[in-house]
Amino acid sequence: MLDAFLNSTVSMATPILLAALGELLVERAGIINIGIEGAMLAGAFFGLAAAYFMGSLALGILAAMGAAVAMNAILAVLVVNLAVNQVVAGTALDILAVGLTGVFYRQMFGITGKAFMVRSMPRLALGPLARLPIVGKPLFEQSALVYLAFAIVPVVAWVVGRTRYGLRLRAAGENPAAADALGLGVYALRWQALLASGVLSGLAGAFLTLAYANTFVENITAGRGFVALAVVIVGRWNPWGLALASLLFGAAMALQFGLQALGTALPYQLFLALPYALTLVVLAGFGGGVDAPSALGEPYSRSS
Amino acid sequence: MLRATGITKRFSRVVALDGVDFAAAPGEIHALLGENGAGKTTLMNVLAGRLRPDAGAATLDGLELRAGSPAAALAAGIAAVHQSPMLFERMTWEENLALGAMGAGSGVRLALDRVANDARRLAERLGFELPAPRATVDERSMGERVRLEILHALSLDPRVLILDEPTAVLAPGELSAFLDLLRRLRSEGRIVILVTHKLAEALAVADRITVLRHGRVVATTAPASTSESALARLMIGELPEAAPEKPAPVEAARRVLLEISALTVEYRGNRALDAVTLGVGAGEIVGIAGVEGNGQAELVEVLAGARRPSAGRIALCGAERVWTDEIAVIPQNRDIDGLVLDMPLWENLLLARPIRKRMSRHGWLDRARALELCRELIRAFRIRAEGPGASAASLSGGNRQRLSVARALAQNPRVLVAHNATRGLDLAATAEVHRTLRAFAADGGAVLLISNDLDELLGVCGRLFVMSRGRIRETRPDERTPEALGLLMAGRWH
Repeated sequence: MLDAFLNSTVSMATPILLAALGELLVERAGIINIGIEGAMLAGAFFGLAAAYFMGSLALGILAAMGAAVAMNAILAVLVVNLAVNQVVAGTALDILAVGLTGVFYRQMFGITGKAFMVRSMPRLALGPLARLPIVGKPLFEQSALVYLAFAIVPVVAWVVGRTRYGLRLRAAGENPAAADALGLGVYALRWQALLASGVLSGLAGAFLTLAYANTFVENITAGRGFVALAVVIVGRWNPWGLALASLLFGAAMALQFGLQALGTALPYQLFLALPYALTLVVLAGFGGGVDAPSALGEPYSRSS
Repeated sequence: MLRATGITKRFSRVVALDGVDFAAAPGEIHALLGENGAGKTTLMNVLAGRLRPDAGAATLDGLELRAGSPAAALAAGIAAVHQSPMLFERMTWEENLALGAMGAGSGVRLALDRVANDARRLAERLGFELPAPRATVDERSMGERVRLEILHALSLDPRVLILDEPTAVLAPGELSAFLDLLRRLRSEGRIVILVTHKLAEALAVADRITVLRHGRVVATTAPASTSESALARLMIGELPEAAPEKPAPVEAARRVLLEISALTVEYRGNRALDAVTLGVGAGEIVGIAGVEGNGQAELVEVLAGARRPSAGRIALCGAERVWTDEIAVIPQNRDIDGLVLDMPLWENLLLARPIRKRMSRHGWLDRARALELCRELIRAFRIRAEGPGASAASLSGGNRQRLSVARALAQNPRVLVAHNATRGLDLAATAEVHRTLRAFAADGGAVLLISNDLDELLGVCGRLFVMSRGRIRETRPDERTPEALGLLMAGRWH
């Protein structure tokens, strides 16, 4: 029971954490990527499609990253180069992704009724750790993407907090005009952050279809991208905080499964709403936004 | 040789620069003088690549500078210290400096300790004081920010250093060290461009002086062949009428309108204000001198109702309260605390509650009346603007300050709190603000003037206090000299 709960928690937390880490980089550079849900969804669909048709898990993961990077590149052109309102552009990409993946999915599988499934990503047991009682299997016998997600946490913390590149990235999000005046290359930094976030969103999407569900249903991301946005706020733009917040939401989702399985008389929709309700409550408590990058969400274009 | 030829820049209908020619040679301190709105800051922004001129070009040693590219200007060796410092507010000062040349070097790691050491050495040479380690910039005073900004610019090892009104926020003790620094930079063969409206400073330190008026160069001269009055005439066309130099005499039996007793503000473990007690009576202008960052900002915030004191009380017109229409505040940082730059002028006026009340009926704004009031104030305070509908951002710094002062007075308060109300204003505008304050006091108002311009305080205030490390002390008549005040401001009475 407890090990199932832990397993669920980790599985649920992983895609949120991957997406949130990418979002953290983007937000530190001053951009709010509402389109992250769409990038995840595109990654989820195209990752699965590539794995299904080419029979290769590695190609599937690559395709997932490619699709999400492409989504973010579109966003970068819109919000970095053309200084379009970031919320509008991101929302448009979300809607585009839902429509695009839905149409492709129905074209390919909706009519034939063929099963759009692949073999699940193998689970890697981490030696003797995996044989620990209760925590062994859920924590140390997971797919590589789970280990990767948590391994990226210190990397992001180091890059953002301790490197000169990270300082420049933060400068672009604090005061882009001043950063530009210093020749830090605000446009390039924001592009790079969006591309990196694309890679991470793609992995998040790939985890959903290749390691977790092994299939695709329309809108499979189900708001996880938005939860990732909330996680960045709750985690105070700190990678370690993001890891904690992701696990919290993962636990809420796992709890929700557990409660449904108990088979009470309560309507199951109530349990489904639990993680999202938790998002609202925690945001209300932590969402003061005092740690947000100063220029977050403000379009920047060099004045003439 | 830095040379600009035929620079013209328009902001919609206002011509900020009109065919300006300007040149400065290596090993030269070149002062750029002019009234508010004369185009000094615009010219500086063009040279620093922050603005693209409509016509004309700038060259450095014969090589044309790419217009409108701050990075290209920086790469060519032009560093600028701006009037509203361009620091990264939420980062520590070490991180801010690391973004400049101090952070240069090899390696991906951020070596903040090395940056802090370099900064400490440079600051020692300049006689600057640095903030506490790992302090973020957003809690620092304007003076501290400008000092950081100067350190930052110098760390870039620039061939051309442009300084926009840097001395306005320096403490008296820092000024001579700063002017020495400029002379040292000159002897190293650099070009130093000092944008200022302080004639004495320009005469003391500059090799050449260029005077701008209404966007045109009216003279380029050397200190030896000119004088303060000649420069003032060039700047404004005529001398401002001599202000009455006698401050109003101190009378005993006056009704106290603003009474502050044992006011204490503590935050982040610091005592920003420590049992401050003072009263300002009707018809009186009371001054507070002090080096910035010694509690002045906190005092103004409490008086503006923006900060809750930890202890003590404030009485206005006999009643214990701050949130009333009887007090108006002119904040020191008009761009951050005073005006909403994206809003038109008339809406900025309506941000003041008393004005809003007057201009509305049953919750509906009377737009026509608000526009009319705005037009009146633009005329009365000689604000150079296209009209009430112009955005506050379109005004020059000095004109924004005029708008801020105009709004405070239009609230018809009994008590006026002015924090560095003439910072960055030219002679004529400063005299105008002083006249306004005197007239306000003469009509029975109470003025609390907080400033770090000693000449202003000595010229305008009846009673004068000194503030240091959050504490306040009234000065004796024999202490009312710049020298004695300088010592008191340094905290020699604790």
